[in-house]
Amino acid sequence: MESTNYVVGFTLAMTVIVALTLSSLFYGTKDQVAQNADVFNKRAILSAISAKLDKPVSDFSDQDVLSLFEEKVEQKVLSMDGEELDGIMAEKVDMAKEAKKPEEDRQLPLFIYNGGGEKVYIVSVRGSGLWDAIWGNVALQSDFTTVVGASFDHAGETPGLGAEIKDNPAFAKQFGGKKIYNDGEYVSVGVIKGGAKNLAYEVDGLSGATVTADGVDEMLFRGIKYYEPYFGKAKG
Amino acid sequence: MAEVKTAPAIQEKEPLFGKKEKKLITDPLTDNNPITIQVLGICSALAVTSLVLPSVVISVAVVFVCAFSSLFTSLLRTRIPKSIRMIVQLVIIATLVTIVEMVLKYFSYPVYRQLTIYIGLIITNCIVMGRLEAFAMANKPWRSFLDGIGNGLGYGLILVGIALIRELFGKGSLFAGSAAEMKIIGASPDYIINTMAEGSWFGWYSNNNLMVLPVAAMFIIGIFIWIQRSRNPDLVDIS
Amino acid sequence: MELFNIFIKAAFVENLVLAYFLGMCSFLAVSKTVKTAFGLGLAVIFVLGITMPINWLINEYLLSETGPLGFDFSFLRFILFIAVIASMVQLVEMVIEKVSPSLYNSLGIFLPLITVNCAILGGSLFMVAREYNFSESVAFGLGGGFGWFLAIIAIAAIREKIRYSDVPPALRGLGMAFILTGLMGIAFMSLLGIDPAAFQ
Repeated sequence: MESTNYVVGFTLAMTVIVALTLSSLFYGTKDQVAQNADVFNKRAILSAISAKLDKPVSDFSDQDVLSLFEEKVEQKVLSMDGEELDGIMAEKVDMAKEAKKPEEDRQLPLFIYNGGGEKVYIVSVRGSGLWDAIWGNVALQSDFTTVVGASFDHAGETPGLGAEIKDNPAFAKQFGGKKIYNDGEYVSVGVIKGGAKNLAYEVDGLSGATVTADGVDEMLFRGIKYYEPYFGKAKG
Repeated sequence: MAEVKTAPAIQEKEPLFGKKEKKLITDPLTDNNPITIQVLGICSALAVTSLVLPSVVISVAVVFVCAFSSLFTSLLRTRIPKSIRMIVQLVIIATLVTIVEMVLKYFSYPVYRQLTIYIGLIITNCIVMGRLEAFAMANKPWRSFLDGIGNGLGYGLILVGIALIRELFGKGSLFAGSAAEMKIIGASPDYIINTMAEGSWFGWYSNNNLMVLPVAAMFIIGIFIWIQRSRNPDLVDIS
Repeated sequence: MELFNIFIKAAFVENLVLAYFLGMCSFLAVSKTVKTAFGLGLAVIFVLGITMPINWLINEYLLSETGPLGFDFSFLRFILFIAVIASMVQLVEMVIEKVSPSLYNSLGIFLPLITVNCAILGGSLFMVAREYNFSESVAFGLGGGFGWFLAIIAIAAIREKIRYSDVPPALRGLGMAFILTGLMGIAFMSLLGIDPAAFQ
């Protein structure tokens, strides 16, 4: 058996070496990692308006994404009453944290894409899928009725089933051109198991992933409705 | 290269990469495979095997962690106090896994987002710990390093094998999510227009949803074991 | 009722073994008889139940930037989590050795292996990823442990019986265990139909 001193000494030496290695690596990579995360989120937002961009989002370099955001995207944060809040960027709003707050206290991020021509309003929604959280961005035309496009992501849906909301471009593509109002009544975009019937405001669900598709449906209905007070004001 | 004649005094010196060393790498790939024979390390990464790309990433990470933790443990093997042996091994492994996580976050953030907790779970991959206990604590650094690589590869072989089957039959594609993504069999993933995808065969094939479920991995390993043991009856479990 | 919900979900719907494959190694290795499976299952419940809250406190107060230290130490998360788990396992080992030497003998080398039981670390990592609060993480830990316990008892019982069946020689033992686990996984998937709201 080794002496206690040796054990303590060994432990201390090991702790120091490990801590130094890891902390220097951590601080060396920190900025780049933060930028990667930033680009990752911004790509997701941009893929909701891929119809308005001249090339697929995956073809943009990281730098392109950042500068496009810098130049053409206006960021706003709204209260639940549709008031604009000052002093905060939409990209700083953590949807996961907002979802834990009581509904009336939440902050809503809004990204406005101004790429020449009509403005596009991108709203963020969050809900739950089969296993874990799902979230997405929905882009609306300035009539606040017609959907330009949508993008979705998830924390842990089954690859090949629920994860198709992100992995299968055909799913998100269905959203382009849908209307979230039917005869003036708010309907959101329905995700319908077994196939859409009212093509104006419904899309097909995912075969084998009913719970996830229902989650998307619920998330869209509730999430877009949060922005209604703002839509009313913006329309004047 | 010709055998170097060695004086009796240094006869113990082993060649850098001789037969024995080669066996250290090749054995775990087949007859002593960590998953199908040693029953180690099934846990942490099977859930990622529904797609090939994450399986390859996890396999590379496991080879790295396995090889270097074996190397470091072996270097320290005479110095590690017996009473805190396990903690020391775990700290070595956890440090390496943290490094893997940082590297992924730095170079390939989307892949990191896809794998999330499964990277951390490499720590508890019993292969790594098992090899440290069984081999690295009693062998020289170079051989331990090779043993680590061999076992990591043996693990990766099964993992990627399962993923190939699951992705091909479950999604009809291979390497989805990477630049090399291919649609191999079945209809276009576009379920609105049900036509054959470009470059794919068997347009009538409809994806098998069982394959994307976690349980498919269990059946596939079971079948792998079946095949392996039928071919080599020595491996059959008597109990 | 939110907590009960998390418990049920963790125990059945998101069963750590059958839905996430966590803790497969000991699950397969120690499930030859119901008696040892029972002991290991209890140990897992206990270790999960203790380590989750401890790791929650560590994550919240030592590692996060908003904690009292005011520094982002998240790069030490893996090391600290695994250290807590290893020491808790040591504790359980000592307790079992005192209380039931026969159980201690039959669990043999698998007790230290709880440390590398992915279910334990996985539970803690899920807790961080899902941002559970303190009581939620306790419920998740106990539920996850209970689900693991149920799964290992069930497979051990099946494996005891299957010894009398005519399984192809090459499939005996391990191969069959994998296939059985797969079938059990399918059975547990039917629990996905449970609507947690029904319990509220």
